[in-house]
Amino acid sequence: MDCYTANWNPLGDSAFYRKYELYSMDWDLKEELRDCLVAAAPYGGPIALLRNPWRKEKAASVRPVLEIYSASGLPLASLLWKSGPVVSLGWSAEEELLCVQEDGVVLVYGLHGDFRRHFSMGNEVLQNRVLDARIFHTEFGSGVAILTGAHRFTLSANVGDLKLRRMPEVPGLQSAPSCWTALCQDRVAHILLAVGPDLYLLDHAACSAVTPPGLAPGVSSFLQMAVSFTYRHLALFTDTGYIWMGTASLKEKLCEFNCNIRAPPKQMVWCSRPRSKERAVVVAWERRLMVVGDAPESIQFVLDEDSYLVPELDGVRIFSRSTHEFLHEVPVASEEIFKIASMAPGALLLEAQKEYEKESQKADEYLREIQELGQLTQAVQQCIEAAGHEHRPDMQKSLLRAASFGKCFLDRFPPDSFVRMCQDLRVLNAIRDYHIGIPLTYSQYKQLTIQVLLDRLVLRRLYPLAIQICEYLRLPEVQGVSRILAHWACYKVQQKDVSDEDVARAINQKLGDTPGVSYSDIAARAYGCGRTELAIKLLEYEPRSGEQVPLLLKMKRSKLALSKAIESGDTDLVFTVLLHLKNELNRGDFFMTLRNQPMALSLYRQFCKHQELETLKDLYNQDDNHQELGSFHVRASYAAEERIEGRVAALQTAADAFYKAKNEFAAKATEDQMRLLRLQRRLEDELGGRFVDLSLHDTVTTLVLGGHSKRAEQLARDFRIPDKRLWWLKLTALADLEDWEELEKFSKSKKSPIGYLPFVEICMKQHNKYEAKKYASRVGPEQKVKALLLVGCVS
Amino acid sequence: MAFPHRPDAPELPDFSMLKRLARDQLIYLLEQLPGKKDLFIEADLMSPLDRIANVSILKQHEVDKLYKVENKPALSSNEQLCFLVRPRIKNMRYVASLVNADKLAGRTRKYKVIFSPQKFHACEMVLEEEGVFGDVSCDEWAFSLLPLDVDLLSMELPEFFRDYFLEGDQRWINTVAQALHLLSTLYGPFPNCYGIGRCSKMSYELWRKLEEEEDGETKGRRPEIGHIFLLDRDVDFVTALCSQVVYEGLVDDTFRIKCGSVDFGPEVTSSDRSLKVLLNAEDKVFSEIRNEHFSNVFGFLSQKARNLQAQYDRRRGMDIKQMKNFVSQELKGLKQEHRLLSVHIGACESIMKKKTKQDFQELIKTEHALLEGFNIRESTSYIEEHIDRQVSPIESLRLMCLLSITENGLIPKDYRSLKTQYLQSYGPEHLLTFSNLRRAGLLTEQAPGDTLTAVESKVSKLVTDKAAGKITDAFSSLAKKSNFRALSKKLNLIPRVDGEYDLKVPRDMAYVFSGAYVPLSCRLIEQELTRRDSLAAATFPSSAGQSLRLEPPARASQVLERRSWQGLDEVVRLLNCGELAFTDMTKEDKASSESLRLILVVFLGGCTFSEISALRFLGREKGYRFIFLTTAVTNSARLMEAMSEVKA
Repeated sequence: MDCYTANWNPLGDSAFYRKYELYSMDWDLKEELRDCLVAAAPYGGPIALLRNPWRKEKAASVRPVLEIYSASGLPLASLLWKSGPVVSLGWSAEEELLCVQEDGVVLVYGLHGDFRRHFSMGNEVLQNRVLDARIFHTEFGSGVAILTGAHRFTLSANVGDLKLRRMPEVPGLQSAPSCWTALCQDRVAHILLAVGPDLYLLDHAACSAVTPPGLAPGVSSFLQMAVSFTYRHLALFTDTGYIWMGTASLKEKLCEFNCNIRAPPKQMVWCSRPRSKERAVVVAWERRLMVVGDAPESIQFVLDEDSYLVPELDGVRIFSRSTHEFLHEVPVASEEIFKIASMAPGALLLEAQKEYEKESQKADEYLREIQELGQLTQAVQQCIEAAGHEHRPDMQKSLLRAASFGKCFLDRFPPDSFVRMCQDLRVLNAIRDYHIGIPLTYSQYKQLTIQVLLDRLVLRRLYPLAIQICEYLRLPEVQGVSRILAHWACYKVQQKDVSDEDVARAINQKLGDTPGVSYSDIAARAYGCGRTELAIKLLEYEPRSGEQVPLLLKMKRSKLALSKAIESGDTDLVFTVLLHLKNELNRGDFFMTLRNQPMALSLYRQFCKHQELETLKDLYNQDDNHQELGSFHVRASYAAEERIEGRVAALQTAADAFYKAKNEFAAKATEDQMRLLRLQRRLEDELGGRFVDLSLHDTVTTLVLGGHSKRAEQLARDFRIPDKRLWWLKLTALADLEDWEELEKFSKSKKSPIGYLPFVEICMKQHNKYEAKKYASRVGPEQKVKALLLVGCVS
Repeated sequence: MAFPHRPDAPELPDFSMLKRLARDQLIYLLEQLPGKKDLFIEADLMSPLDRIANVSILKQHEVDKLYKVENKPALSSNEQLCFLVRPRIKNMRYVASLVNADKLAGRTRKYKVIFSPQKFHACEMVLEEEGVFGDVSCDEWAFSLLPLDVDLLSMELPEFFRDYFLEGDQRWINTVAQALHLLSTLYGPFPNCYGIGRCSKMSYELWRKLEEEEDGETKGRRPEIGHIFLLDRDVDFVTALCSQVVYEGLVDDTFRIKCGSVDFGPEVTSSDRSLKVLLNAEDKVFSEIRNEHFSNVFGFLSQKARNLQAQYDRRRGMDIKQMKNFVSQELKGLKQEHRLLSVHIGACESIMKKKTKQDFQELIKTEHALLEGFNIRESTSYIEEHIDRQVSPIESLRLMCLLSITENGLIPKDYRSLKTQYLQSYGPEHLLTFSNLRRAGLLTEQAPGDTLTAVESKVSKLVTDKAAGKITDAFSSLAKKSNFRALSKKLNLIPRVDGEYDLKVPRDMAYVFSGAYVPLSCRLIEQELTRRDSLAAATFPSSAGQSLRLEPPARASQVLERRSWQGLDEVVRLLNCGELAFTDMTKEDKASSESLRLILVVFLGGCTFSEISALRFLGREKGYRFIFLTTAVTNSARLMEAMSEVKA
């Protein structure tokens, strides 16, 4: 333990920097890093190497290889590069690899070397070729900035939602800038570039010359510039070996340093953390690494091998052929506890716990000392916090043990910070494992959030680990386990070597009916991979039939879709499928399909009734539904046709249909109607007035009322109007006419089939008591009383 | 005379929340189209809308002018047009023609169509076909439940009946399910569900699906309403076809109650203006007579008038102070009552004039004969005469249907002759009406040699066949047999009359039909409730009896499991519906005994005021409270009109 601070290097008075090994790499690189295009994603992300770049004029016949490794050097993908020359590589925030080609086309690959998509940076870029490119991260996502052969810049702030912006021209720019970078301020992306002794800031509207405040004189060119992880700070390296550090807005200078090395550095990156005491820049040359800050002295390391720096939120990762290290400023809590001769409460508590384990009474002394100062709570908090910043599990444990020991002497110490730290460290240690290879620090982990971390695990296809983490942290199923299972299932369906049955069964076994898992989404993915049969099998597991339909339609399983839609009970869905089917199938097949689905059929019929009458007719025809066909024509006879001839023709068709339907009654009735129509027409011609469209009864009544008794009789005979009806009819009509004489004659024409009470009633209705009395006497005995009452002869 | 409820009858839930909900949603939709706009309202939606939001509320939300959707070009000059319509294709064509006319005139306006209660894909399709889909924005106003009264919710969808029971169109079922879902979110889950009929079953299943998709929220809630009964209208056509003689039903039959209010014409108001009267529990006079047999109403009203007079008379002999009190406090109430009284007396007179004539007595007599099943020949000739005299096309049709259903179809000779007579009287287009009625099973022909058992075996075979589609097929091909006679015997629908039935002090629900017939739909509900109550009494004996006879637990649980409409097996078979009885949805123990006496009855395809009165009577007798949810309030005339084909 004495040597715990051995790797601590002081910078100035206040800060220490330490460098420790994350992994020893065994990635068995065949070439030097310097011969490759290198891109490493932040937050312990993967490393991409593209060997054999084109700028080395090597044998063009050899195709370069694009390799992707985890941060621990495990190979994730390797593929032969078959496209054009690549200028720059970079990782997007979603851990997709962006490869900027010379012609301005950006190819996007997944973590496992699977090609995702490509996009172009525009015609101007295509014409002038790409000279240099940077991939940068903004609040919106990942951006690409390109310097073209014409020394113009084009950028897109978010490749997910590609909007190209061509930056204004820099006046008098003849050659490529000596260095440049993309800046992101106030949610807008800028370009900062250095041309000779001048600095220019390009925004989308203008190009303005800027000067950093307090820049030492004598600078004739800037060799390197670096923007901090959060875009807040800027460092400039000049040809005089002078380093200027200040805010990215170029309003304030933080410090400066003269390293007296005039050779251009290979890389320069910021090494700071949120709320850092010291702001330092790490500069790397071929064999030398220098940490420079606001101090007269710098920290120097020797680089044994070709190395590459990856800026992180709270430090710098440095990897080479054999190792992967992390360089950062020692966090406050750790510093307080471990600084030599520290009397900080945390340090005392750690000491006390060690003594306690040795069963020494010194433990009590230390503890007393802390308690006297009333700093025990602080001590526990310090230990918990420091544990988070430790990389080695044994150190984490001893600090946590100290915290737990201290906690015992506190009355009311809320346990959640301790518990949460234990959980977080467990997760962190799991993912830092060599096989997983995501060396996140505690601060990075907190910044990234557990959800994103889970996404990244899913992206690496580490489903079991992700699920274990979810279960361990007791995340709600919908966000946690179900989501991961769904991703797993989507991956599973892409395994072409496994049979459809096996995949479907495996997925169903794992997923069961976990809430929040949509089988239709998985099926859609299966269909996307060209596995229609599998997709159908998966859809079988989807409990909501409504969800199955859209995909089934897409897969052209319309008939299946139809029955599923019907099952769902959602008529709108059924209708959607119907319209689909209508366009997809020929008419005959469409009708046949409908025929087997009565619910859909009636739905479609309803629609046709209002919108497509002809189709309705075809439908009935197809079904040989002569009854409905007949009804259809009857309706047409009075709704669609104006002329009598047309109407009669429609009725004739209807009658034929009714005969076919063996509905003799309807057929006869229709034929009667045809006869009646013709007759009414003739009556209109001969007698004038309106007859057409009257019912038979009304036609006869009209005739009687018009005094055409003969005609009326004739009609009644022709249409075989029953006697009773005729009597009622004549009775009413004659009474209306008040033709009492005729009525009497009529009543005597023969014995009334309706009795004589109606005669009495109708006369009384017309208030003709005199006539009524005539008939009252003829009323049959059982109704006589009634009749007499009506007439008013109570006696 | 108005019966008080038993003291243990539960309180009704407050349904005014539904109105507020609908109003807020409508306002939200109107605000989606900021600025002045003209509102085009479909005629069918006007009255319901009036119950939700009056003109001043609409004006507050920048509705400028109101128009009725009708087949005329719109004269609106507003830049924004809003259409409030039912999802019907003809409305879409109207909107499209308006938009297209504007386009021709080179005019651009904003159009918004609000569908109530929901939009259908077919409507959007039509807009698309007419080429205006892009110009119109569509929205839904999920207003499906209108509280017409404290215990009556209506969906105001009269077309439900024709669409489902005639055309086999199931699109409204989703709307029903949505409405039930809304009720269960607002008033807690329903512990017990029962249903008869295919439509009930489908609605129930869709509703369950909705509940499952949106799990969580209602689970912990205590149920407010203990039972829900779903009934298809085709289970009991008979009740709906009978002439109504309870006051409210009679008013509906005579004047047509529309959306809870009625227009009394000059013959009632005895002035030259007609008067619109809201009929609900707030009308003190009406609420006392609505459920009464008509023969009692007049006596009651005259008694009431005398009381009123007595109250007026009190002012004589008052001193100044008392008089002041009287004027400021009581007079207004008395005046109000006076006004209502005169309206109802006017209505009564008008009804009496129409109904107490000879023919009405004859009509009722015939109806009763049909229900009881005697003198069929006589009834048939009465109907024939009815047709021959062209009394009324709807009435004639109604009697024919009643004859057909009670007699399990007409004998072929009558079937032909009645139809022929009808066509001669009322016009040949009714050939289509008959075809509709046959399809709906309302007017059928006894197949020669088709004995009851043969039909039954046929039906039961179809019922066991799980393929739902087949049943629909059967539905249209094999017209449903009603077995009314057997049902009536089994369920004792025709009360035995010993002496005169005292309509003033009714004994059972039959009073709504002058003591001649207990409505089948209501009897089914009564049977189930009685069965449940006796079961509950057996399973949970009163504390006194507990020590004496402890049921063995095994048996108790066995009893509890039997929760469907069992014991009605025979009835179910006769009803030919196949589908009924759903198991309980949630455990009953959460439901308070209070809520178990609150019962929601859902009529799919409409219910009549007589049925409502009958169940209200049952509630008063047994200490239940019934809540009614119907797709629309209906009566025999509305049913017949829905089936009729009339020349356009």
